[in-house]
Amino acid sequence: MSKQISTKKRTLLFVAFGWMLLILGDRVGDLELYQGSFVATYALAITSIILLTGYSGQLSLGQSALMAVGAYAGALTIFNAGLHPIIGLLMAALVAGIFGLILGLIAARLTGPYLAGTTLALAISLPTLANQFPILGAEEGIVFDVGLPPARFGEDFSQYKWFFWISCLASLIMVWFIANLLSTKYGRIFRALRDNPIAAELSGINVGRLKVTAFAISSGVAGLSGGLLVMLISGVSPSAFPLSLSFALLGGAVVTGLYNLKGVILGGLVLVAIPEIADSLVSRIGGSEGFITILPGFLVSALLILAVVFTPNGPGHLIKRHHKK
Amino acid sequence: MTQFITTVLTSLSSGAIYALMALALVLVWRSTRVINFAQAGQAVLTTYIGYTVIQRTGSYWLALVVAVISGAIIGAVIDRFFMRPIFKRIKSGPIVMIAPVVATLGLLGIIQAIIGFIWGLTNQSIEAPVSTGGYKVMGTVIAFSSYNLLVLVFVAIAMLLLTILFQRTNIGLALRASAYSPEIARLSGIKVDAVRTLGWAIAGASGGLAGMLYIPGYFLYPNAMDLLLVFGFVAAVIGGLESLFGAVAGAMLLGFAINFSTTYISPKLFFPTAFIVLVLVLLIKPSGLFAAKKSRGA
Repeated sequence: MSKQISTKKRTLLFVAFGWMLLILGDRVGDLELYQGSFVATYALAITSIILLTGYSGQLSLGQSALMAVGAYAGALTIFNAGLHPIIGLLMAALVAGIFGLILGLIAARLTGPYLAGTTLALAISLPTLANQFPILGAEEGIVFDVGLPPARFGEDFSQYKWFFWISCLASLIMVWFIANLLSTKYGRIFRALRDNPIAAELSGINVGRLKVTAFAISSGVAGLSGGLLVMLISGVSPSAFPLSLSFALLGGAVVTGLYNLKGVILGGLVLVAIPEIADSLVSRIGGSEGFITILPGFLVSALLILAVVFTPNGPGHLIKRHHKK
Repeated sequence: MTQFITTVLTSLSSGAIYALMALALVLVWRSTRVINFAQAGQAVLTTYIGYTVIQRTGSYWLALVVAVISGAIIGAVIDRFFMRPIFKRIKSGPIVMIAPVVATLGLLGIIQAIIGFIWGLTNQSIEAPVSTGGYKVMGTVIAFSSYNLLVLVFVAIAMLLLTILFQRTNIGLALRASAYSPEIARLSGIKVDAVRTLGWAIAGASGGLAGMLYIPGYFLYPNAMDLLLVFGFVAAVIGGLESLFGAVAGAMLLGFAINFSTTYISPKLFFPTAFIVLVLVLLIKPSGLFAAKKSRGA
């Protein structure tokens, strides 16, 4: 493993990075700010996958369902209960975390493909459940409105900059929290669970409980990113969380390197950049409407395969020496 | 009463289709420890090949044969030139668990994109070879047609052939031995790699059959079989992923549960039923209904 950074140093790094983003946010246009918000949101979702799959060794294909839970919880808090957006985002993380805890209790006995199958079934069934309850707004969904930026920021503080601030700040705080968590004994325990559950159990680790813990925390993180995602598209509906989102995020996590939190921004960037690259490719070489629809999927898939074949342990792995456990 | 009989019959025919997909997944899982998500892509690709044959010759039956054979070839090619090199590269570390999933998901995307490039994204349709109008029983038309019957018969024949292959032939013995203990099989002179490729080929053929039987009555488009893949996977997991019988049993259980809950409770329960059945089964038996008694090396 790479050498550990102390908590103080890490906090300073995160603050410096946040400051950099703040300055950067003033220099770029609205479109870049909007895309930047998506990068932060996806990076957060990828963090939840890295925590769950890379660290605790549980493969989930249903991360989009947990994001949906968070998104609906947040939207209900803001829209129906009329509470402050910040409370909405907190509720998104909290409710998804509790949901993940319950799901984790069911899933703790499952391994490998059984867990993958259960979460896959969850990912296709949960969004359709939203159609059952009128309070969840059926197909049209419900609005997720964080409101206008506070007046004290001035006249030319745009809505997009407000989105950018919220999503970056939320993501930074959450990733900082997870990075700290993983450098404590929990990080070591999660890695032990992943690498050798039997040895972990023999060393006195309560494997079941720790797996559930990892599941619950990961769900909370996913829920928050779901809340941020529907904030950006200003409404939540079942179609906002297709199965392909789960797969794309898993792809982003593999590109990032499943065992490394440092690259999550890279994963988020890739997920946002691919449709853009596809667009510019199409506009350059021309092509039909079908071609434009297909190309992003093709690029994501190709990237997935290349990432698995050439850098199975993440791009950082190419630079670093083979890590010693 | 009529409704009850109809529901039983439709459960059987949808269960039969899930079973073909579940069998394709189990065959690959047994031989290579891979959940082949690309199976949906392979099956759709072979169905498109069948569709082209129908366009050229007008014969559904010829198309069915071509689709099954091309399914087998595609399966073998994927294992030999895609999965095997990946496994050679990735041998150790926790990525071993995730790499096959990611690789086959990527492959699924590539196959679907290629289909889109060749055939376009518009919905195509395949005419069913026999009537899809429901039978008349006691004056009322029920939702079970000659075509549903045909599907049932074909799936039953496929099961029978697979059972004979696995239980009565030397190839079947080699397939079972390689799945059960690759090392010992290799020591006894079985070419394990070749046998695994054969497993992929049989799975591909099964997927091709599933596609040609499933698509008439629906539309043909690159993502047409994604849902079938999910249900096939759920059925395979319910059945324990190891046994062919378990896959069929799991598929039938799923078919009955879904059709009965959507008929008698609410049509909106289609997806939630699959999840609930899966969770209930796994709560009682965490590795499926018909899992192998003891774990064995991958």
